[in-house]
Amino acid sequence: MLDGQPTLEIRAGLAREVARAWTRLASPGTWWTGAERLAIAACSRSARQCALCRTRKAALSPYGVDGAHDGPTSLDPGLVDAIHRITTDAGRLRRRYVESAFADGVGEPQYVEAVGVIALITALDTFDRALGAGERPLPAPVAGAPSRARPPGEERGFAWVPTCPPEVLAGQAVDPYPVHGAKNIHRALSLVPQEVFNFFDLDVELYLWDQQIRDFDHEYRALTHPQMELVAGRVSALNGCYY
Amino acid sequence: MDGDAARTGVPHAAVLLAFAEAMLGDDAAAQGTARAALHATLGDAALVDAAALVASFNAVVKIADATGIPLEDYKARATESLRAGLGLDALRSDQ
Repeated sequence: MLDGQPTLEIRAGLAREVARAWTRLASPGTWWTGAERLAIAACSRSARQCALCRTRKAALSPYGVDGAHDGPTSLDPGLVDAIHRITTDAGRLRRRYVESAFADGVGEPQYVEAVGVIALITALDTFDRALGAGERPLPAPVAGAPSRARPPGEERGFAWVPTCPPEVLAGQAVDPYPVHGAKNIHRALSLVPQEVFNFFDLDVELYLWDQQIRDFDHEYRALTHPQMELVAGRVSALNGCYY
Repeated sequence: MDGDAARTGVPHAAVLLAFAEAMLGDDAAAQGTARAALHATLGDAALVDAAALVASFNAVVKIADATGIPLEDYKARATESLRAGLGLDALRSDQ
């Protein structure tokens, strides 16, 4: 990974969740097959080199630039556009854009699951890049059908997408809140509860478990809390993250 | 969070900030330099953890931005003046 250096040792929990995340990326989800999830991941990867996305990124408003995205894909054009915008210019997404994507036929739970897939491939590829490893080939898809299980009692208006608050998922077959907490960032993908697990099972190893974040009496990583927050804050600032 | 390491008071801030900034760019040479500097300064485990942190925060922002979740009330109250000073509220639109 480093020139002239032996392979770095990855702590066990992180190595386990990275491996599981790659498997989950290729496995049937709630609304997409394994092959479709990989197509979303491939589309997200291609967005990083997309000429239209670069032009939009440089424009005063990304909504005044039309054109075709680079990269082969079998996905719906509306979903492709959303994947490219989320990947390359997420900070300038607008409620109106997301709602128009729904009106144009992108399904709400399918969109939410795609967001989870984009986050997953972004995290996995960024981790490899940061360690100096090359981009991995996407794995082979795992056969099977998506479960298409939509939780009852979703709420509208909390975010741009429907969400399921903790009381709605309590007692359901898939309830990530007791495991990962109920901050708004956990609720963001809750219309597809398994996708909350898919991302945050990895994220708690990349960063910290929720209860560890403000436990300033203990250090859980090779970096101290202040060092971790410095890196986290700089990455968030560079990404223009309001959250 | 303007990247000025000297003002942070955090040990090894300069190499950490340089690493974070390089990994969000696309300059492979700069990434290699930043990675080697962090590794030489802080060692194997810190490099892995820094890489993991950059990965986490480069990804989670996409979830927040793509779903339009609001900031928690307690977090908004606690950071009101800071957010106003830095213009952070302008980074999100409900339109």
